[in-house]
Amino acid sequence: MSRPSNAGGWLKGTTVRKGGTAVTNSHSTRPNTPQVQSTSLTAFSGVKDTSGRTTEYFSMDDQCPVCKSDRYLNPKLRLLVSACYHKMCESCIDRLFTLGPAPCPICQKILRKLAFTPQTFEDLTVEKEVKVRRRIAKDFNKRREDFPDLRSYNDYLEEVEDITFNLINDLDVAETEARIERYRKENSTLIELNVRREEQYVQALKDQEEQDRLEREHRALEARKEEELEREEKEKDRREIIDRLETSTKDAVKVIAKSRAEANKRSSARTAATALAKSSAQLLRSRAAQSTTVPDVPHVPLQDDWYTYEDMYTLRDNYDDIYSEAVREDREGIMRAGGYRVQEAWDRAVRSAVTALFLPPLSGVSQSDITSGAPQSILTST
Amino acid sequence: MDAVERANAERQKRWVKDQKIGEGTYAVVYRGREASTSKKVAIKKIKVGQFKDGLDMSAVREVKYLRELHHQNIIELMDVFSSKTNLNLVLEFLDSDLEIIIKDRTLVFLPADIKSWMAMTFHGLEFCHRNFILHRDLKPNNLLIAFNGQLKLADFGLARDFADPGYKMTCQVITRWYRPPELLFGCRYYGTGVDIWSVGCIFAELMLRTPYLPGESDMDQLKTVFRALGTPTEEDWPGHTKLPDYVPVGQFPRTPLRDLFTAASGDALSLLSRCLTYEPRRRVSAREALHHPYFTSLPYPTHPSKLPKPVSAQSRPLEEVDGNVQLSASGPGVKAAPPNRLKRKLSSPIDGLRPLARKLDFGQAL
Repeated sequence: MSRPSNAGGWLKGTTVRKGGTAVTNSHSTRPNTPQVQSTSLTAFSGVKDTSGRTTEYFSMDDQCPVCKSDRYLNPKLRLLVSACYHKMCESCIDRLFTLGPAPCPICQKILRKLAFTPQTFEDLTVEKEVKVRRRIAKDFNKRREDFPDLRSYNDYLEEVEDITFNLINDLDVAETEARIERYRKENSTLIELNVRREEQYVQALKDQEEQDRLEREHRALEARKEEELEREEKEKDRREIIDRLETSTKDAVKVIAKSRAEANKRSSARTAATALAKSSAQLLRSRAAQSTTVPDVPHVPLQDDWYTYEDMYTLRDNYDDIYSEAVREDREGIMRAGGYRVQEAWDRAVRSAVTALFLPPLSGVSQSDITSGAPQSILTST
Repeated sequence: MDAVERANAERQKRWVKDQKIGEGTYAVVYRGREASTSKKVAIKKIKVGQFKDGLDMSAVREVKYLRELHHQNIIELMDVFSSKTNLNLVLEFLDSDLEIIIKDRTLVFLPADIKSWMAMTFHGLEFCHRNFILHRDLKPNNLLIAFNGQLKLADFGLARDFADPGYKMTCQVITRWYRPPELLFGCRYYGTGVDIWSVGCIFAELMLRTPYLPGESDMDQLKTVFRALGTPTEEDWPGHTKLPDYVPVGQFPRTPLRDLFTAASGDALSLLSRCLTYEPRRRVSAREALHHPYFTSLPYPTHPSKLPKPVSAQSRPLEEVDGNVQLSASGPGVKAAPPNRLKRKLSSPIDGLRPLARKLDFGQAL
């Protein structure tokens, strides 16, 4: 990865490779690999990990490039990153920016105290890229469904990537910003819509998780109940055997064998019943893993080529039709309220008039065929 | 023997009747096969003798429309023949129906599965409407599923062609939970919108895995509908207060569908709301629905062969054709709209999976 030219040589000097090459470093008994610590800084916009927490980058070799104090001198040293992606320690920030906006000691860009953020990644170019991408993703949130074909979607992704690259590497910043602004104006409604869709999706995921959790609990409860039931049943069986042995005059071995068989039958019936009620999560997984040998095909609105004889007539909006006069007048509005359309009747009448006009007459069939089988063939061919 | 009789005898020979698999009020369904190919079929024997006025209306309707409709999403009527005084319909043999699948809690639906079923339903319905036929009894247990996963519209016992202008149609059609409000208000002039409403209810049921609008009586059905979708205003549905059986059933606020269908995509809800629109003319047509973005957006509809189906459907010979049994049993029952149809018939195979029904089975076996 190429570093931006304005990142400065100091960056290379102070960053440590993750995994720590300097294990032999003498100044610490603690492991030298970069560590992360949770932060509770307010107004922190750092990168969140999967658990939703933010973690701050932290290394034993940290040194403030401005005042040159390091972790050895100041164990509480904390480096923050400026808007121009330069690091400095908290005390330098306090010293330089408490009295209002001031130039960055490294690149002279005017900075404010509030614009410093904790560092998440070891490499500041990554930090910058993440920030740029997050900003871009906020506006450029179109989805595959928003495009008519794959081609235009790919073009769009390409454009987004171009803009991102420009911003990361500070190429044509003014022009790129203008491009973003233009895009935002043109697509404001769609952006809004996609934001909402995203929210809905997140909500749906959350609901799903909640449901899964409930289901798991439910299953655990069920299993516990099951066990309880089984235990009770066994106890009952045992008592029953004793009772029977007491009252019956039959051979003891036979009585026991008979009760055992009954108990077995009952328990197997129960397991059969529970086997049917498999958990839906399991089923969903098996469903997803189902063979994909038959690909799903896109929907085709009308699959058959149906000849409607539309070239043989044109339906007019209105006809002078005495039979439907009352219907068309519809004084009480019940035709409209009921959804009856007189146009459909006209369409049917006109189409029936032309249907099968040029069908060749039946030939080569004997008289008996016509009486028995023919009516069917006429119907199917119309 | 005249030509007609001879032809009938020939036809009869083509089919072999096996065991009886179900009985409805006006028909008995047998499992059968084609004599030459031993292809499985269902044979529906319609009892003619016991009706004073001749053949039952639903049998006439079924033959009349199924004879003409040939589409991959509509059940195929393969042959009709008579034996003694009975009429026999030879129908395609189908494994299960959508109701069995919805009720089978061991099956998991992906959004793409629902899309696939909806697409097939609309394909079949569009074909009916294109041929000027209203189905008038769409519900999950009339949507049968073939072994290859294809969904097929069945039970044309209540179907009819579009009425000519000014001719009344009956409003006592469609199973209550799937009946649109205009029929509940006693409207006698209606159109394709009635089927679309039913499809909307089925769509919702597929997402919820439980009937969406389960009213306990016709009156309660209206209340249930309004509670779910808000009481319509004159603006939502012009003229509905003039319908013959209109009665105010109370004011309910409109709640967004999103509140109930939390996991559905925006496209799905858009199509659902277009199906469950109060004014029938503003409801989506089957053809428009097929062009709705819901069907073209990702994910693609699941290929029919991969759709979930009851695992044990093949291993339970007696209940396999249950769809067809239901088909014969429900036709006339619905037409009369008996007061208590809240509980659906308990004869579907899914009930066989439940512990209670299992116990009963054991009892009979012993």
